[in-house]
Amino acid sequence: MPDLTIKQRLYRYYWRFIERYLQKRQPAAAHVTLVQKLIFILPTRYGWWFLFLICLLYLLGTNYQNNLILLLSYLLLSLFLLSIVLSYQNLSGLTLHCPTAAESFAGGKVQPAISLNSDKPHYMLQLNLLPQREEVLLAELPAAVTLSLNVSKRGRYVLPRIRVSSQYPLGLWRAWSYVALQQHFWVYPAADGDSAALQHATEDKSEPAKNESGDNLAAYRSGESVRHLIWKRLARDPTNPVVRQQQNSMYSEPDWVVVPALSGEALEHALRRACLQLLKLEQSGSRYGLKLPALTVPQAQGPLHLQRCLQELALC
Amino acid sequence: MLGQKRLLLIWSGIQFALLVLLQQAFAGWVSAIFLLLILYRLFSVLQAKRPVSLLLVNIVAGIIAVGFFLQLKQAGVLHFMLQILLLAATARLLALQHLYEARQLVWVHYFLLASCFILHQDMVVAVFILLVVLANLYSHFRLFSPASARLNGVQLSRAMLIILPLWLAMFLLFPRLPPFWQIPNTNVASTGLSDNLDPGSIEKLVQDDSLAFRVEFDTGLPARQLLYWRARLYEDFDGRSWQVNSWRKDASRNRYSSRINNNNSAVQRYRIIAEASQQSGLFALATPVGSSQNVFIAASGMLSSLKPVSQRLSYQVSSVLDPIARLSEQEQLMNLRLAPGNPATEQFAHSLKQQYPQPAALVQALAEHFSQQPFFYSLTPPRLGANSVDGFLFDSRTGFCSHYASASALILRYAGIPARVVGGYQGGVWHPQQGYLAVRQREAHAWVEYLDNGVWQHFDPTAAVAPERILNNLDSILPDDERALLYAGWRQLEMLQTLRLQLMHLDYYWSVWVLGFNDTSQQELWRNIKQHLPTIGYVLLLLLIVGLLGGVIFTVRSRKPSHDHLASQLLYKQLADVLSNKPSAQPISSYLRHVAKTHPAHYEWLNQVITLYEQAVYQNNNVALQQLKNVLQRQHTELRDLRRAIKNT
Repeated sequence: MPDLTIKQRLYRYYWRFIERYLQKRQPAAAHVTLVQKLIFILPTRYGWWFLFLICLLYLLGTNYQNNLILLLSYLLLSLFLLSIVLSYQNLSGLTLHCPTAAESFAGGKVQPAISLNSDKPHYMLQLNLLPQREEVLLAELPAAVTLSLNVSKRGRYVLPRIRVSSQYPLGLWRAWSYVALQQHFWVYPAADGDSAALQHATEDKSEPAKNESGDNLAAYRSGESVRHLIWKRLARDPTNPVVRQQQNSMYSEPDWVVVPALSGEALEHALRRACLQLLKLEQSGSRYGLKLPALTVPQAQGPLHLQRCLQELALC
Repeated sequence: MLGQKRLLLIWSGIQFALLVLLQQAFAGWVSAIFLLLILYRLFSVLQAKRPVSLLLVNIVAGIIAVGFFLQLKQAGVLHFMLQILLLAATARLLALQHLYEARQLVWVHYFLLASCFILHQDMVVAVFILLVVLANLYSHFRLFSPASARLNGVQLSRAMLIILPLWLAMFLLFPRLPPFWQIPNTNVASTGLSDNLDPGSIEKLVQDDSLAFRVEFDTGLPARQLLYWRARLYEDFDGRSWQVNSWRKDASRNRYSSRINNNNSAVQRYRIIAEASQQSGLFALATPVGSSQNVFIAASGMLSSLKPVSQRLSYQVSSVLDPIARLSEQEQLMNLRLAPGNPATEQFAHSLKQQYPQPAALVQALAEHFSQQPFFYSLTPPRLGANSVDGFLFDSRTGFCSHYASASALILRYAGIPARVVGGYQGGVWHPQQGYLAVRQREAHAWVEYLDNGVWQHFDPTAAVAPERILNNLDSILPDDERALLYAGWRQLEMLQTLRLQLMHLDYYWSVWVLGFNDTSQQELWRNIKQHLPTIGYVLLLLLIVGLLGGVIFTVRSRKPSHDHLASQLLYKQLADVLSNKPSAQPISSYLRHVAKTHPAHYEWLNQVITLYEQAVYQNNNVALQQLKNVLQRQHTELRDLRRAIKNT
């Protein structure tokens, strides 16, 4: 926070204010139809230029006392005003709905599919999920559109507001709306693990040396139990604490994915490994279950079961 | 969107139109450069070439701009601005690559098209410019719409319905302000009478059929022989031609408060709509005593505008049909000055003076001399020698109004009577239906004013030679071959002539209602609105009530069957006539089945409708509902037949 510029800080305050305002105006709903109270309209940069043109023409017409130039300036002004209504019409009546919760692994992109519905044609709609800058341009109205959002942390999130905007027909006004849909999305832990876990999961016995020792030395991560610390090594090199990881207990049950009671970075690590294991098990077609410190998902198989397990990992 | 060939073609077309419209403002080489640039672009569009590189375009445009700048003095600021803007537009089109560049291009096109109205206010040209503006608007729309979007007729007309009243209301009611600052004007060659009156200058002018000005009379059309529109006073004679005195040119810039002595004469009030002449001299009858704010009365009853008339100007004048009063001793002396030469004329003048010592009698005698001696009125007089007046009076005896006026003024000066030649227009064509007098350049005329009893008396020698010229018009007195000079080429075609006349009338309304609309008319409009405010209010209230009632009825009606299923509503709407006989207790489908049986011609599609309807209602199937809609739409003609059949049974 301290290295934010004033502009960024102001922007943050501005957004907080807008959020609060929008929360009152349009709380999240399953289906949102764009109506008058949800659509905002302001001139675009080109619209300001156009207004400047109108003023110039008015000055020109007045100075030359030329009615035709004045007429043209009024014609452009009435076009300018009319395009407020037209850009409103281009947005109103559009119904947004997000039928399914999107899912993704951390570090990837979550891609919620938004279904769009309307009785009339809409042109040149631009959609984006709010924190994201990249817009999806829809020349015409498709049945559904897939937006994308970069995610980094696991969890279950509320779908952010979707900005729907359009400059159709003359690019003079931008009509937009911030739509909150009652939907969430899942971010699962990214699937990765150290080589041992990987080998175990694939039941590759080509490196027996490590399995024999049963123990693995690894750098200490915050949240790991202090009991596993190798104190002798800590005395030698206090900046790099090392722990003994007891693999055997974890992999004693091959069809169970077990996440030990850890916290912090160590937990994240374990979850990532568990995620990988789950994926592998599902791929191999065996029945498997998930054991979390607080909860156990009984053994089963299939995509729904995998989803259930991954969701539990995300929430853990 | 930018790759669209059509858009590039439209823009090239717009720029070509701009070049043609702004032709007056450009020197020949400037036009040639623009033509080259535009043609090159058109060529490259048709050949589907890539746009020219930005660097090259910038270099070329820079060189051309420097060329324009060197010409700044000759071209004037306004023309320079137009040249630079058009150069920017053409260069932009040559190197067009990005969307924002196209937006800038459209913007500049709007501005340039508006500038065309500085040079052109003709109705036909104005309509053309408006069409080009619409083309530009279309390209503007295309920039912001998908390629698949079509212009929808219904939507367009609805948009027009909103825009038109808004536009008109703005034009009529938006406050009109006086000019904020002095602006550069176009320097285009002036038309109409010049400051120099050669023996041949008016003949050239009368072959020009273009309009000089139009007049509306508030107080009724005066007699034709009173319609002498004064425009110029020629007081310097150099032995051959007459010039406007330099003092007069200076004096015409000063306002001159005329003494009003209208105790016996009626005041004529009229409005003149003068065409653009690029001169400041204007037209008035006899002695003008009052005018609208945009013009002023200078010395000797000459009317002048504040700056050269570069676009149609409408002004109000009231005149007293009395002779102009003498201005000063100096003016009197100036109009006695003589030039060497023309000895025979001098002799003739002296002999007249001896016979008729009174100026009025002398002028009378001169008029009789012109009418009794074999003098001829001709558009093609023979060339005259060094002593032009002598040659005309005693040798050729054939001349146009400027010859007669010049000779008469000189004779009067030799006879010791201050006299001058007045240039202007005489008569005009009265259009009774439209209620205006059209005065063309053809009506250009020259006559004489001489000083008698402290006032400048009017004397038209042409009236003595060819009185029909004054009472009718020029055509009636010219022989056929000379008349052909006036109606060259296509003007002889009767149909085109009437068409031209109709256009001129339209153009008249155009200039009165559109070009001539000013703050005075606006104030009048406001006053009218204020006067009829209660009426307008009642009408609006009535409309509002009717609209509200209609709205209420509509909502009540549309709400009534709302507890039915959508499919039932649809059927009730589409098959209203068919279902009107249905007993209320019977379900729709069973009734329709009955109808299908009694009308076997429609059995098949009715059956389909029934099946879909049942699916839609009882299974709540949306697909079936959509299909039902489609079927009803497709079976449009069958539906009509069925309706007819049921009505007939």
